[in-house]
Amino acid sequence: MASSSSSGLTFKLHPLVIVNISDHYTRIKSQSLPPSTTPHAPSASNVADAESSSPPQQSPRVFGCVIGVQRGRTVEIFNSFELLFDPLTHSLDRAFLEKKQELYKKVFPNFYILGWYSTGSDAQESDMLIHRALMDINESPVFVLLNPSINPAQKDLPVTIFESELHVIDGIPQLIFVRSGYTIETVEAERISIDHVAHLKPSDGGSAATQLAAHLTGIHSAIKMLNSRIRGLHHYLLAMQKGDVPVENSLLRQVSSLLRRLPAIESEKFQDDFLMEYNDTLLISYLAMFTNCSSTMNELVDKFNTAYDRQSRRGGRSAFI
Amino acid sequence: MDIEQKQAEHIDYFVKQASNLKGSSLGNLVVEATSHPSLFAFSEIISVPNVLELEGTENAAFLDLLRMFAHGTWSEYKSVASRLPPLVPDQVLKLKQLTVLTLAETNKVLPYDVLIQELDVKNVRELEDFLINDCMYVGIVRGKLDQLRRCFEVQFAAGRDLRPGQLGSMIQTISDWLSTSDNLLVSIQEKIRWADNMSEMDKKHRKGVEERVEEVKKTLSFKKLQTVSRPTPSSEGMKRSFPNMV
Repeated sequence: MASSSSSGLTFKLHPLVIVNISDHYTRIKSQSLPPSTTPHAPSASNVADAESSSPPQQSPRVFGCVIGVQRGRTVEIFNSFELLFDPLTHSLDRAFLEKKQELYKKVFPNFYILGWYSTGSDAQESDMLIHRALMDINESPVFVLLNPSINPAQKDLPVTIFESELHVIDGIPQLIFVRSGYTIETVEAERISIDHVAHLKPSDGGSAATQLAAHLTGIHSAIKMLNSRIRGLHHYLLAMQKGDVPVENSLLRQVSSLLRRLPAIESEKFQDDFLMEYNDTLLISYLAMFTNCSSTMNELVDKFNTAYDRQSRRGGRSAFI
Repeated sequence: MDIEQKQAEHIDYFVKQASNLKGSSLGNLVVEATSHPSLFAFSEIISVPNVLELEGTENAAFLDLLRMFAHGTWSEYKSVASRLPPLVPDQVLKLKQLTVLTLAETNKVLPYDVLIQELDVKNVRELEDFLINDCMYVGIVRGKLDQLRRCFEVQFAAGRDLRPGQLGSMIQTISDWLSTSDNLLVSIQEKIRWADNMSEMDKKHRKGVEERVEEVKKTLSFKKLQTVSRPTPSSEGMKRSFPNMV
């Protein structure tokens, strides 16, 4: 049912939408588990082991609407909200959709309903009914599908965008889903939050040493990049000096103003502040170590007393357990 | 940076003008260029062939003036003022601005006294007004004024035209910077390795301690098996005293 799209529209997806869909799915999934099992479900993960007591054979499908802006041939999907799916009539809750649409219009007057989303591994026939239902709001809605199963070998996002096209199959014009490519577009705020989430668990270990190593590695790569840029500038200036490249005064002026900012960390005030902060940190860790040691000592003394002090009393213990 | 972008069109304009004019009319152009409020770069104009022709002619003074604006400071001007044509107030202002840029070349922290002397202003108030209005708002310098310590900390200063020998020293500075950052990279890698080694050692130590605790536990339970066999009231007392503990 899915071939490649030929409509020529370019899709831009914001990470907020992906996070919203996975959050919706995770919530519904953890709410549908019986209360005896721990509702421990990190986002977008299939908690296979928790399904042992009451296995929902197929993961619940969640539905919702995506909204955004369409400018010319570019469709940019900014946000999404959830909808209730009525399994009896196989349709989405229309009244709620319209109410939500009105509310969103007040806050974001530019955003239109661009389509809908769901979870699952592939688009199905019944989805076409929902798609048709949305066609009166938007003449060509998009269908965003999130695949919630985790595949460690998979390198790209498990998100697919489908469009509907009128194809002639067996002499009957039918609407079928065709896949489209998309790009991820981020706003500064989204970039910061995604970066934050990505760095919560740097690797499987979480000990102080690995975190330190991860942080240092980050700094290392940043400095390496700076290094390569400066090296490029250096070569260019050498070439200019030799005469291979025509002298460009504007660039030289900029470079000289840049170099004037060096040395960046030499001033006396910096040394003072830096040493003060360094000493403060050392002091704090020393103090923490002290507290640790004294509490361990305290425990040791308590155990010692419990073990050996009762020998005088009748019925004392014979050995330290 | 943005100064360069702002200047680019002015530079183009003046270069075009300069290539069209000749001789004494260039004098007027020079005065116009040096009084222009947003133009701080003169080396392009100097390199226009018509301007270079002025060398040695009676209008050579204008070429010298242009060169003074490109590389010199206010005090240098005052020492050779007799040879150069008189300056209109706009030019005086510009030369003072360029003087600030030159001073910022060598030091990042400029004491007020030096600035007052170099710029020929009478007091701190005038100096600060000049710095704020004519340097920072124009955008050629960015920095902080520290009145308590009477100095001006420069964070950014636009570049002036390069003297012929400056390119060499710039290249030297860049290569020094490169070697410093290389060393820094090496030391960061060492630190990473140190951190990994430390965590390895810590894990081994922890394992060693746990193994020893296990061993001691085993030997103790051995001993306990041997001593518990005595049927004394002490064992009953132990049972009674148990609930009181822990």
